[in-house]
Amino acid sequence: MADEKWDAKQYYEVKKGDTLWKIAEAHYGDGNLYKKIFEANKDILKNPDTIQTGQKLHIP
Amino acid sequence: MKKNFVGVMVILFFAFVMFSACGGDKGPATLAIKAAEEAINVAKTEVGKIAPDEIASLEGALTSAKDKLAKGEIKEALAEAQGLVGKAKDVVAAAKAKKDELTKQWTDMSQGLPEMVGALESRLGILSQAKKLPANLTAEKLAEAKSGLAAVKEDWTKAQEIFKSGNMADAIATATTIKEKVVKAMESLGMTVPTGAKS
Repeated sequence: MADEKWDAKQYYEVKKGDTLWKIAEAHYGDGNLYKKIFEANKDILKNPDTIQTGQKLHIP
Repeated sequence: MKKNFVGVMVILFFAFVMFSACGGDKGPATLAIKAAEEAINVAKTEVGKIAPDEIASLEGALTSAKDKLAKGEIKEALAEAQGLVGKAKDVVAAAKAKKDELTKQWTDMSQGLPEMVGALESRLGILSQAKKLPANLTAEKLAEAKSGLAAVKEDWTKAQEIFKSGNMADAIATATTIKEKVVKAMESLGMTVPTGAKS
């Protein structure tokens, strides 16, 4: 993308106490869909149970 | 009889003098109208699709100059025609600046809109699999966003066709309407709208 102003990718910055389940629940309404977030962030996440505060996750 | 002949001759003489005088001024006015016509034709070819109203205005003024010439108002026709060449050049310059601005707008939207539509489609696909929706999203809103997505894709194809036909202003107007629909749908799903799409 040439112009960042038009970047439509959705992001979420991990906060203390967050889990992929909680993030999926907040964005999708259904925690079971956490795998969607994990798959979209495989370049920075090795394990769906291990996320770091401050990590910027792509929420598809 | 002789008196009548002299009278006729005098009338003919004055008629000749007046005709000659008019013919002398008509030349420059005719040339000026021709030059204006050429300048307007060039402007029409170059920017007719971007500035149709301005071109129509120039053509109206050209018709007016021609009418004046036909009525024998030669000085007025000359002045009007001479002014038109400059006006045509100004229209071309202004339209080219407008074209540059429209090109930038189109470039931004043609890169940004498909990304926005892609992000929306991805989110709709995932939300469709959710057994429960987020607190701020109802099933009606979700259904509305889904049907809106199909329309948006169709409209985007139309916008691209309009752009290819050379009508940039209409293509951008269509793209802007699409952008507004996508923004509305993204907001209804709680998604972040790109800053470029907010302006």
